[in-house]
Amino acid sequence: MLRRKRFWFAIMAILPTFAIFGWVRLFPIIETLRLSMHEWNLLSKNKPFVGVQNFVELFGDNQFLDALTNTAIIAFGAMAVTIPMSLVLAAVIYHRTRSRFSGFYETAVFIPHVVSLVPAAMAWKWIFDAKLGPLNAMIVGLGGDALPWLFDPVLSVICIIFLVSWQTLGYGVLIYLVGFRNLPKSVFEAAQLDGASGVQSFLYMSVPLLKPITLYVSVVTLISGFNVYAQAYVLASDTQGAPGRQVRVLVLDMLENSFQNFRVGYAAAEAVILLTIVLMLTMIQFGLLRGKGGR
Amino acid sequence: MNKSIRSRALTSAAGLLLAGTLTANAEDIVIWGGFPELTEYYERVAESLSGKYPDLNVVVEPIGLRDHEKRVALGLSSGLDNATVLELIGSTANRYIVNDLIQPAPDNVSAFVKDDSNFEAFFQETATVGGLVYGVPVFRGQGALFYNTDMLAAAGLEGPPTTMDEYDEYAAKLTQRDSDGNPTVSGWSLRLSGGGGGIAEKFWINLHQYGGTLLEQDGDKYRAGYANEKGLAALRQYVNAVSGLKTVTVEMPADAAAFQREQTAMFIRESWVIGDTAKKAPDLNYKTAVLPRGSIALPVNLYVSGGSEKAQAAAWDFAVAANQPEHLVWMLDNVGWLPNRSGVDYSGVVAAKPQFGAFVDLPEDYVFFTLPSIEPINEILTRFAAQLVDAYADESLVGNDAAMLEVLKASAEETNTILKRAGILAD
Repeated sequence: MLRRKRFWFAIMAILPTFAIFGWVRLFPIIETLRLSMHEWNLLSKNKPFVGVQNFVELFGDNQFLDALTNTAIIAFGAMAVTIPMSLVLAAVIYHRTRSRFSGFYETAVFIPHVVSLVPAAMAWKWIFDAKLGPLNAMIVGLGGDALPWLFDPVLSVICIIFLVSWQTLGYGVLIYLVGFRNLPKSVFEAAQLDGASGVQSFLYMSVPLLKPITLYVSVVTLISGFNVYAQAYVLASDTQGAPGRQVRVLVLDMLENSFQNFRVGYAAAEAVILLTIVLMLTMIQFGLLRGKGGR
Repeated sequence: MNKSIRSRALTSAAGLLLAGTLTANAEDIVIWGGFPELTEYYERVAESLSGKYPDLNVVVEPIGLRDHEKRVALGLSSGLDNATVLELIGSTANRYIVNDLIQPAPDNVSAFVKDDSNFEAFFQETATVGGLVYGVPVFRGQGALFYNTDMLAAAGLEGPPTTMDEYDEYAAKLTQRDSDGNPTVSGWSLRLSGGGGGIAEKFWINLHQYGGTLLEQDGDKYRAGYANEKGLAALRQYVNAVSGLKTVTVEMPADAAAFQREQTAMFIRESWVIGDTAKKAPDLNYKTAVLPRGSIALPVNLYVSGGSEKAQAAAWDFAVAANQPEHLVWMLDNVGWLPNRSGVDYSGVVAAKPQFGAFVDLPEDYVFFTLPSIEPINEILTRFAAQLVDAYADESLVGNDAAMLEVLKASAEETNTILKRAGILAD
C-alpha cells in the first residue's frame, strides 16, 4: 500500500516537469513531423496533406542539396578541428596546473565560448574583409597575396569552420580538463615506470581513457555544427553591397523557405531530414566510441 | 521569516511578475517599417497627431527590410495585440490580403486613396485588391544612375551613358587599377552578392533596359521571360564585367557606401541615396541620369492591422497624416524616397538638390515595371538570385553565349516550376 502511494507520489512529482518537457521539446518535434507532410504558406487556414511530396521535392532541389553539403562540411570540419585541438590544449593546460597562469589559460580559451555569437561574427567579418581586413593586411605584409576570404566558395566555408571551431573550442577544453582531472594517476605512474614518454602516455593512455569524453564532445560539436546559422548569416549579411558570399546552410535554407518563400511544410521537411541525420550520426558515434577502453 | 511577511513578499513578487507580463497600452499604435532611415519621418508624423490624440503613444520600430518581412509574416499570422501600421511593398502585402490577414481600409481612408487628385491610378491600383482599398500609398523605390562627375571628367567622358553599350564602355574607362592590373575602383558597381532577392531585382532593372522582363504576364498567369536573347544580353554584360574585363569584382566595396567613399564611379540605385549621401559625403561631386529605357517602381503602402477599433482609427489617421504635404516634402528633402502623392509642390527640394531631376523629370516614353503581386514572387527572386551569384563568378561563361543561355534556361525551368506549383503558370 505504502509502495503504491510512493509510486503515485513519484508520478505526480515528475508530471509537471514532464508536462513542460513535453510541451517545449516533444510537441514541437511532433508538430514539425506533422507539418512536413502538409503544404502550408504560414498564412492560410488550409494545410492540405501532401504525404512525402515535400521530401521528394527536397532531394531534387539544388539549393537544399547545396545547403546539406555545406552544412555537413562545416559540421565535420569543425569537429575535426575542435576535438584534437581541445584535447591537446586541455593536456597542455592540465600538465601546467601548477603554473600560476593555468587559470588565465583556462579563462582565455573559454572566453570565445561565452562571447555573444553575433558581435563575435561581426568582428571576424571585419578580420576576413578582403580589402580592409587585418588578416589580408598581414598576409600582404608577409609577401603573400590578399585572399577573398568571404567570397571564394571554398574560403568562405573555411571561414565559417574556423569561426564555429573558435567558439566551441573552449567548451571542449573545459570538458576534457574535467576528464583529465579524473584520470587514475596510478596508470600514468605505471607507464612512467615502464619508460613511456609524455607523448606516449598521452597517445596510448590519455586518449583511449578519455573516449567517453571524446564521445560527448564530438556529439555536442557535431550537433552544434549542423545547426550553424548565425555565423553564415552574419559573415555575408544582406546589407547594401553585401560584403560576402552567403554560404547556404540548412538552417538558413529552412528560414528562407519558411519566412521568405512562405513554404512552412517544405521547411519542416528539411528540419525532419536534419533531425534524422543528426540522430543517425549520434548513434554511429555512440557505436564507435562507447565502451572502448585504453590499451 | 513569519507567515505574514512571507505572504506579503509572495504577493508582491506575483504582482511584479504580472505587471511585467502586461502588454503595452491597448490604445498605443506601433509603426513597423523596413527602412530605418524613415524613423525620424514617422516620429514627425506622430508628433503632428498629438493635437488630435494627446494621449496617443506612437512606437516607431523600423528594422532591416528582410527581417521586417519575417517579422510581419510572423506577426500577422499569430495576431497583433497593438494597432500596427505596416509599411509594405504592394506585392508583398497581397499575400496577407488574400489570406484575410489585412482588412480593407475604412471608408474615409478609401475615399482619400481613390481621389485622383491625391494619387495616380498606378499607385491606387497597388493599394487596391478586388476593388477594395487596403492601404495608403506613401513612397516608392525608383532607380536611376548615380555617377561621379569628377571621375567621368578625369576619364575624358562628357555626360552619362545613354545606352547599355555605353555603360560597358564607361565601365571600362572608369575602372582604376593597380600596377598588377587588379581593379581598385570599379567602373560600374553591380549587385553581385548577398542574400535575398535584391540581386535578381537589380538584374531585372538591367534586363529591362534591353527590353526584357523576368516574368511575362499572360492574363492572370505568368511564365519566365528571360531565357532569350534579351536575358542573354543582360547576363553577358554582368559576366563580362565581373569575370571578363573585371571592371568590378565580387569582393570590391559596392553600392552606396562605395560610391560615397569614391570606390566606384557609377551605380544604379533608388533616390534614398541622395539623402544618404548628403549626410555621409556632402562634398561628393555627383549627378544622376535616367536609365536608357525605364526603371523599376516599387510602391510602398501603409496598412493597418491589430488593436482595438479606437486604436485602429488612430493608426489609419497616422497613415493618412503621413501623406500631408509638409511631411512628404520633408521626407523627400531629408531621406530621399520619392513620395507617391500628386498635387504636392516638390519643386523647392528638386531645385536645391538637382540630383532628384533623374527621378522626376522623365522622358515621355520612359517605361516603368514593378514586381507582380503574386504569391511566389519572393521565392522566384530568391532562387533566381542564387543562380545568378554562381553565374557571375563563373569565368568559364566569359564569351560562351551557349553556356550562359543554358544557365538562363535552367533558371527559367525552376521559375516555371514555382509558378506551376502556385497554379499561375501560363501556357
